[in-house]
Amino acid sequence: MNRRIAQIVCFAFGALLFALYFSQHPAARKLNATVMIDYWQIIFAITLLVGVLGFVRMTWGSIRKGDDRPYRIVSLIGLGSMPVLAIIWGIRGDSPFMWMFEYVLVPMQSTVFALLAFFVASASFRGFRARSAPAAVLLAAAILTLLSRSSLEGIVPQFFTEAADWVRGNPSMAARRAILIGIGLGSLTTSLRVILGIERTWLGGEK
Amino acid sequence: MKQIESRHWIFGGLFVIVIITMVLNINLEVRVTPETDRFYACLDSLPAGATVIVSFDHEASSLPEIRPLALAVLRHAFSRDLKLVGTALLAEGTAVGYRLMTQTADEYGKTYGEDYVYLGFKPQYIAAILSMGESIPDTYPEDYLGQPYRDYEMLVDVENYDDIAAVISIADGSLTTHWIEYGASRYNIRIVAAVTAAMMTTYDPYLASGQLYAMFGGLRGATEYEQLIGIGGSGKRGMLAQSAAHVYVMVLIIAGNIIYFRTRRRKGSAS
Repeated sequence: MNRRIAQIVCFAFGALLFALYFSQHPAARKLNATVMIDYWQIIFAITLLVGVLGFVRMTWGSIRKGDDRPYRIVSLIGLGSMPVLAIIWGIRGDSPFMWMFEYVLVPMQSTVFALLAFFVASASFRGFRARSAPAAVLLAAAILTLLSRSSLEGIVPQFFTEAADWVRGNPSMAARRAILIGIGLGSLTTSLRVILGIERTWLGGEK
Repeated sequence: MKQIESRHWIFGGLFVIVIITMVLNINLEVRVTPETDRFYACLDSLPAGATVIVSFDHEASSLPEIRPLALAVLRHAFSRDLKLVGTALLAEGTAVGYRLMTQTADEYGKTYGEDYVYLGFKPQYIAAILSMGESIPDTYPEDYLGQPYRDYEMLVDVENYDDIAAVISIADGSLTTHWIEYGASRYNIRIVAAVTAAMMTTYDPYLASGQLYAMFGGLRGATEYEQLIGIGGSGKRGMLAQSAAHVYVMVLIIAGNIIYFRTRRRKGSAS
């Protein structure tokens, strides 16, 4: 019975939002705005709460078991301290929250991001080999792209950057288009299957 | 043990090369690509006083690439006397966007509330984009500083996308796609994007089809834009380090392949 109600609610809201997207009627637009501005935001807030509670529960469990205890404690302190700082001193200007954001979070994230360059350099030496014809083509395309995204115009012949532009504008674009069309059709089909009740795995498995 | 050592040498080499190029002040010329030129022309063609949304759709991790892009675009927009409305579709971009806007506004003597307003972050990006199409003041009843939307004179006539000349999405991920799919296709707003280099190919099909009006990106794009507006920034400096790192990676790829083929030939002749 519960599954049937969930399916009916899913169909009703799926069909309604689908219709609202295309309608220009003032009533439809008003309803659309209400759903978008109010209800969607409330749902988002609740999902955020669920996520935070799940994270705390999981991390606390790991701390009790002793798995990566120092890191888990730092995670919990980070999660707890940011909202506390924001609630007490606000999030604007030179508040402690912003200090933590700019001088702790941003450098940490930038460091992790920058580490990628070191791994790319290492992987390019050890793994990027012309073992077969397709691998050789990929390798050539990679070198052309690296050249085109550098400021070596005076040193490298113009042909290389033009070739890189051609690769980006033709084979790469064709592949990207095919992927995007595939994703679009897949999303459409799955959405229709969910709305029409053909796809029921989201209800928690078949019995 | 040998493999670990070679990896460490590679890491060390990259570190040294980047440090040296950051210290040296070499002036490398960059050709302005047509796509950057199109973005520039798009902003340049807007009449003074036109209202433009600048959406900071990125996270803090990509700041080294995003900051030069954003600064170049904001400098151009402020120099053209465009009215800027700042938003962020990702929480992390909110503070970054506010800082960049106020910093650039100060450079050009622009006043908050008269020349630019920062609306801040709204969770659920699809909902935010769609609801702004219906009503921006209902979506953002207050700005980032907590002042009512209606208090700002520059926003009095700005009700929805009909009153916006363009949306500039400064992104490090796929959020520009949502601006295209929900903002452009549903409300016919003109979308232009400044994105990280890794994301550029993602948007190529949208750019080719015209759904995305203009796009430029990466440190190279930032350098090109700095050249177009005639103001040097961190793009050029970063581009130098990036170019050196690219050359280093290319050398590593070639060296790796030479070693691979020599080893294979040796093994073949031995058997």
